[in-house]
Formats: sequence, structure tokens, C-alpha cells
Amino acid sequence: MFSLDRLVKIWEKYQSFYWNGLQMSLIFAVIAVFIGLTLGLILASGRILYKNPRDNLFAAIVKMIVRLLCTAYVEVFRATPMLVQVFIIYYGPGMVLKIGDSATNRMTWGVVAMGLNSAAYLSEVIRSGIGAVPGGQMEAARCVGMSHWKAMRYVVLPQAVRNILPALCNEFVTIIKETSILGMVGITELMFRSQTIATQSYIFLEPYIIAACMYFVVVFTLSKIISAVERRMSKSVTR
Amino acid sequence: MSRDKLIEVKGLEKHFKHLQVLRGIDIDICRGDVVAVIGPSGSGKSTFLRCLNLLETPTGGQIVFEGTDITSRKTNIDKMREKIGMVFQSFNLFANMTALDNVTAGPIHVKGMKKADAEKLALELLERVGLGDRGSAYPIQLSGGQQQRVAIARALAMQPDVMLFDEPTSALDPEMVHEVLDVIRKLAETGMTMVIVTHEMGFAREVASRVVFIDEGVIKEENEPKAFFAEPRNERLKSFLAKVL
Repeated sequence: MFSLDRLVKIWEKYQSFYWNGLQMSLIFAVIAVFIGLTLGLILASGRILYKNPRDNLFAAIVKMIVRLLCTAYVEVFRATPMLVQVFIIYYGPGMVLKIGDSATNRMTWGVVAMGLNSAAYLSEVIRSGIGAVPGGQMEAARCVGMSHWKAMRYVVLPQAVRNILPALCNEFVTIIKETSILGMVGITELMFRSQTIATQSYIFLEPYIIAACMYFVVVFTLSKIISAVERRMSKSVTR
Repeated sequence: MSRDKLIEVKGLEKHFKHLQVLRGIDIDICRGDVVAVIGPSGSGKSTFLRCLNLLETPTGGQIVFEGTDITSRKTNIDKMREKIGMVFQSFNLFANMTALDNVTAGPIHVKGMKKADAEKLALELLERVGLGDRGSAYPIQLSGGQQQRVAIARALAMQPDVMLFDEPTSALDPEMVHEVLDVIRKLAETGMTMVIVTHEMGFAREVASRVVFIDEGVIKEENEPKAFFAEPRNERLKSFLAKVL
């Protein structure tokens, strides 16, 4: 049964242990989103490769293959559970390509797995953000003589960023929660630490409630900030 | 014709999948011409215009612009488009830029003009279209007529040899139509070569040096404006004019 007394006692005893765990979760989330964003950008550009009717056969085939590969990546990562992905990456490349001692190795591959997963989702966010910019914008830019890439850089992407930003922040918030999966491969983030406390103290409910509260405070606060920013952005005259 | 040919269109064809939109268009556009293109909707007149700067890739025929075959794969189309200004029905101003930045974007990013020079040029052009004081406004803050005039200034900033207008007043409230037409009329007086797809018959008659009637993907009739409207020969054109005039 739940007891507030036990909860307070555990909190007092393990406070700094928890804080460090939360800190790790947040750092992992930041790194994972950074990896996800970089790779997601590459995947998204691969998927929207410009079909130029003037391309020769070779260029057309190369573009088709790149599009296909990027699409396959996104579909595979979105259609399998992240827990499974983390295990496969950890026990696959993680066991073969050792990076540092075991703790560093675990953390590196854990966060890489999350980044790879996040990339699939973020590439879709980026792709739809670019897709939401009206086609006339690209046409108008081409008509003043800009190349496809210049038109992207000066006209389409600045508008796409506005579409993408809210979803990007939401992905970050989601990732914070998902870092709890990393505890499963022995990375000492918030969830893993709660588990450790539970098994050490033979008290099982309260340690997890503390973890839940910590996740909640961080995630809830961040999402509120994001929606406030979003509201302000939609009010601005430039959309 | 004694004047030099700016654009030569030979047997231009375009089909989208199984839909044949253009079935062989032949026309020469000379320097200083103001060509009004009219026709029923779905006749291919917008597609024809969009083929002239390769926004649509023709599936047959040839377009020669200033002596260069722009339908050839070897042609650098970006270079060609610098000399072909385009104004859209839906304005398509860059939503992330002010009116002034819309006009300077081409000169700065394409021609490599210095920012200060580009802004000076842009201010002159905005002045010319009657919007010298709205340079800092974003497109969303401007009325349709104002947006279209900025769009005209943006196209002019590249100092094009020809201007293409794709139904420039069709998306405008009736009371804003004249302010845009006035700008185009003044432009015609400067001797700018223009191709204008329009439904404004009165405007076509007044400003154009030639009027072209496109129907079912071919040019059915072409004449100087007075005769075009007074003595149409083609049966389809007769019934079209009877409905719209």
C-alpha cells in the first residue's frame, strides 16, 4: 500500500540520486533529438528529392534509389517498437563496436538507438513541414531565377521552420519520456535508478511514484511553455 | 515582321498523363509586343504561358528565347528565367519576407547585387507601382491588389526582357482590379514585351498589340485587337465573345 511517509523518507534519502538520474534523462533526450534532427533532415531531403523532368536517366535512377532507401528506413523504424530497436542496436553493433568502458558503451549505443528512432519521426515532421509550404512559393522563387536549392534556402525552408518548430518541441518532450526505456539496457537514467532504489529498499511503489512526479513536472511544464509559444507564433503577422 | 523575334514557339505540345492540353502551338513574340491570350477555361492558355518559362515542361515542340532553345536539356533554365518575369494569379509573394525583401530577393540572391543597391532599386520599383510607403509590410498585411503590385515590382527587379502575366486580376476584388491593370498599362507604355493571359476583354482590346484565342490546345485565331473583337472569323471565338462581352 502507498504510504506518504515512506515516500518522503525515500525522497530524503535518495534525492540527489534521483536528480542525477533526471539530469541524465534530459541530457540523453537532448543528444537523441540532436542526432534525430540531423539524420531526420537528411532523410527528409532524401525523400523529397526534386524530380526534375530534365534529369537524365542516371540521375533519375539514383534519386529513385535514394528516395526508396530513405522511405524504407522511416517505415521500418516507425513500425517496430523502440524497446526492440534499442535492444537490437545495443546487442548488435553495441557489442561489436565497443566504445569506451562498458558504461560509456551502453550510454553511447543507447542514445544512438534513440536518435535513430527519433530521426524516423522527425524526418516525417520535417517533410510535412516543407510540404505545407504552398507550391506557389517555390514556383515564384524559381521564376526570379533562383535555383532549386536557393529557393529552398531563402523561401521554402524559412517558412517550413515555422511549421516544424512546435512539432519538434513536442518530439523533444516525447523523447524525455522515452528515455525511460534506456534503463532496460542498464543505463543509469531516472527509471533505472528508481528500479535500483526499489530493489535495494524492498519498497516498490513509492520510488516509481517519485519518478513519475519528476517526469510529470518536467514534461508538463515544457509542453505548457511550448503551447504558449505556439499561440504567440500563430498570432504574429507573418504566420 | 521587321522587329526582332524574342520568343519563337514551334509546335508546342503538352500532355499531363493522358490529357493532351496543348496540341501544337505556333507563335512568334517580338520585342515590344503586348500579346493578350484569351480563351475558355481549360483551353490550355495558362499551360501555354507556364511552358514559356518551363514551369511546365513541354512534351513536344520547341521554344526559342532570344536565340536559345530553352527546351533543350543543355540550357541553363535558371539563367533564362532571370530574363523572363512572371506574375501569378495568386500573387505568390514570399510569405516570410517584407514587400521590400520580396523585391530585393532576386537581385541579391540571383544577381549578387549589393544589398544597398538592391534596396534602392526596390524602392524605386515600389514607388512606380504606388507602394513606396509599404516596403516594410508583410504580404499578409497587404490587400490583394497591393500584393499583386508588389509581385509585379518583384518581377521587374530582375530587369526582364519579357513579362508573363497569368490571369493577374482573376483573384482580386472588383475594385482592386483597376489598380493592377493601371500598373500593367503603364508598363506597356514603356515598351515592355508582355504576354498576358486574361479574362479582361476591355483591357485586352485597349492595351494589347495582338490578341490570341486559344481553344482545345491550339491557337484558333490571332489578330490585332480591333479586328479581333469586331470581326471574329472562327466560330468558336464568335460564340465565346458573344458570351463574355
